[in-house]
Amino acid sequence: METLMVDRVQSSLRLFMYRNALFLCERLCAEFPSELNLQLLATCYLRNNQAYCAYHILKGSKMPQSRYLFAISCFQMNLLREAETALCPANEPNAEVPNGAAGHYLLGLIYRYTGRRTCAVDHFMQALAIDPLLWAAYEELCILGAAEEASECFNDAAAFRVQQQQLSESSSQNLTIGTECQSLPSSMALGSGDTSPRHSKQLHANNTRETLSHPHGTVMVAGHPPIGGPSNISQYYTPPAVTQLSGVAPPPLCRNAQLYLNAIGGDGYTKSNVNAVIQAPRRKFVDEGKLRKVSGRLFSDSGTRRSTRLSGEAAANTNSNASQLGGNGANHFSAKSLGGLSSSSSKTNSAVLRSVTLRRGQSWANENFDEDNTVTTSSMSALADGKCLEQDKMGCGISAHDSRLASGIREFLGLLRTLGEGYRLSCLYRSQEALEVYLRLSQHQFNTGWVLSQVGKAHFELVDYFEADRFFDLARRVSPYTLEGMDIYSTVLYHLEEEMKLSYLAQELISVDRLSPQAWCAMGNCYSLQKDHETAVKNFQRAVHVDSRFAYAHTLCGHEYVALEDFENGIKCYQSALQVDERHYNAWYGLGVVYLRQEKFEFAEHHFRKAFHINPCSSVLMCYLGMALHSLKRDEEALEIMEKAISADKKNPLPMYQKANILSSLERFDEALKELEQLKEYAPRESSVYALMGKIYKRLNVHEKAMFYFGIALDLKPPAADVATIKSAMEKLYLPDELEDTL
Amino acid sequence: MATESDGEEDTAGKLTGSQHLEVDDDLREMAKKAAWSVSSCKPGNGVLALRDDNLDTYWQSDGAQPHLVNIQFQKKVKLQLLVLYVDFKLDESYTPSKISIRAGDGFHNLKEIKTVEFKKPVGWVHIPLSGTDPRETFIHTFMLQLAVLSNHLNGRDTHVRQIKIYGPRPNPVPHQPFHFISKEFITYSTLK
Repeated sequence: METLMVDRVQSSLRLFMYRNALFLCERLCAEFPSELNLQLLATCYLRNNQAYCAYHILKGSKMPQSRYLFAISCFQMNLLREAETALCPANEPNAEVPNGAAGHYLLGLIYRYTGRRTCAVDHFMQALAIDPLLWAAYEELCILGAAEEASECFNDAAAFRVQQQQLSESSSQNLTIGTECQSLPSSMALGSGDTSPRHSKQLHANNTRETLSHPHGTVMVAGHPPIGGPSNISQYYTPPAVTQLSGVAPPPLCRNAQLYLNAIGGDGYTKSNVNAVIQAPRRKFVDEGKLRKVSGRLFSDSGTRRSTRLSGEAAANTNSNASQLGGNGANHFSAKSLGGLSSSSSKTNSAVLRSVTLRRGQSWANENFDEDNTVTTSSMSALADGKCLEQDKMGCGISAHDSRLASGIREFLGLLRTLGEGYRLSCLYRSQEALEVYLRLSQHQFNTGWVLSQVGKAHFELVDYFEADRFFDLARRVSPYTLEGMDIYSTVLYHLEEEMKLSYLAQELISVDRLSPQAWCAMGNCYSLQKDHETAVKNFQRAVHVDSRFAYAHTLCGHEYVALEDFENGIKCYQSALQVDERHYNAWYGLGVVYLRQEKFEFAEHHFRKAFHINPCSSVLMCYLGMALHSLKRDEEALEIMEKAISADKKNPLPMYQKANILSSLERFDEALKELEQLKEYAPRESSVYALMGKIYKRLNVHEKAMFYFGIALDLKPPAADVATIKSAMEKLYLPDELEDTL
Repeated sequence: MATESDGEEDTAGKLTGSQHLEVDDDLREMAKKAAWSVSSCKPGNGVLALRDDNLDTYWQSDGAQPHLVNIQFQKKVKLQLLVLYVDFKLDESYTPSKISIRAGDGFHNLKEIKTVEFKKPVGWVHIPLSGTDPRETFIHTFMLQLAVLSNHLNGRDTHVRQIKIYGPRPNPVPHQPFHFISKEFITYSTLK
């Protein structure tokens, strides 16, 4: 009955019938209380967005998978300390992090949000080492500014690791790993003392749902002999037969392997039967393991199995699954797979694996047409194959499958390399280079929402708002429901003063997801453009409320407070933004502007410099830094920075204007006028240029020219404040010199 | 600036009020930064009614003339425009007819800067605070006082439904001698 219940629960979960799953699972736990079932129940709660329930039932559990699930619940409830303790118990400093890469990734996030950057970086690196395809970990490293070059992370060594993982996984997990695994983990988990944590960890994550859904999918890494064989990465170990069932099959290195794989493919995904399998826990594995060590002889059996694999859905055999799970990998990952949950890593992994296995599957299919169907539970063969594979790998020629796997992995890594490098460069604000990298992508990859958004963002950082608008617009066309990057898009539209487009964007985003911070940021920008700063503040605060870890919402809120001249609240907002993301240069800039206004010039300079340090390519930042230096009377440095800004971006007129301003204050009037003459060509309708020229001529006592330029300035209709200043200056032109004052 | 269009003045130069509140984009409301007080009021119709953005509620004075509305700022500010909402049709003898505007550092040194007269006003009455001198578009002051000297039909007490006070927007780029107005400059002038 237990098996049946577990099976129903897992199938309900797979089909997103959470109410059903929850109810049945609660009955299951009442009837057969065990930690594995508890894990299954927690999984149901987490799927149903009830992290608090999962939290309560898992509190105090010690199994790795339980700890992982508990940590996920804590993280979702923002109880970061508890999450950390669950993953890294204080009294067991050497305990392994549950779920390998996924666990390290989660730990990294926890450290990041509790302000411990070095630890966070460390864990993300570890996660990547275990699973080179864990994009999310690389992404976080980029955000923290600590990522190595993509070619370092997604390189051949990584490809090798992935390959090994793939191979080991395919043999073992296949199906069972899926939700079924729940029961498995218990057995597994108990036994573990295995040496080889990493690979398996990675595996489970993927195993779970992904595997289930995808016939070919199981790809877990598992791979360490349950029997406690050496778990060298180099030794490629195929987990017990379970995997045979799934169609996936690890890449056979040789014919044998192929057969083996096919077999594995077979009942692979019997989702339901896992329980049965599980019931025969480790012990069975161990036996099988031994059996597996038998050599290629078993391959003959696999022939039949192959067909089963082909018929994939036939999911008949639980046994093989079970045994497979028993495998070393199983120990590790069974528990973990339960935990699979929604960790992005697993998704990526599975996705990757899936693509890889598919490829392999195809090759097999071609070859194994005529096999009859027989499902065999020969985990043994699997094992044997594994062994064989590993030897073969080293020794004999690479079979077609293997090379296909290898090339698949390489291709995927190549893709991640390009994307990773592009993302890393954008996070370092080397936007021009990032753009070049993104252009190296294939057409179909480039024309996806994510990439187009990133390209748009790169243009935004280069202060090229027109191009940014173009790319963001394309991104919206390609994937209209994407929210990522739309906050930046709204800022782009704000700068372009496109009221209509901006309000349309905001409305659309709200209708897509009222609970996303980007939608409220866009709304806020709308009001900000209309100079209704109070409503803008309300909207940005709503964005913060919806997701307090969204740094940009805090920054935008800060800008509005400053516009309202409420500096205290502005500073608070900027500081919150910096707490979330220390490299958010906009917040450093915002603080600099506040201090500039408050005439605390040293602070202003310090903050602008920090912002400049993070984003050394922004001519606007350079300009502001220069202004702060000028206020500190460090005019030589100010002029230097202005020159830098001018050469950094020819289209930015501000540095030239500021340069002229500084020169005029240093009484180097001729140079100042030269700059202004140039500016006149660039922006002929900018009254401040003429006004400044008039001011300079006035100082030089060239009254006619002063009047002339003041006149032009007035004609261009500046705001009333300027009109007053200019008119007042004009009046004083004809007064005796001693009455010269402010102007 | 104030729209002193036909809707606002009659032939004798007295203000009559306009339907709409029209304020230039380069002005912003200053009232939030000020402390408001009145010389007297009827319970339930106090100073809050002047600031609640609700034209149905009004301040009613309850004492001898002149009735005063005091607006005090924490630091010296530039003020450019004062706007009142009054309605002769609804308030009749309670409608103000002559108003004096005073400015200064505090109660002790207020000086009159302007006097305006109304003639059966209905709607928003815009009162620019500048003098005739174009150099004085703004007044630079700590405090503004609005004194209702007399009402229509010789009424004793007065009703005012809303008051708004405007000043220039600060330059978004700090420490600049002039504002930027062209697109090219504005785009690069701030980061968000």
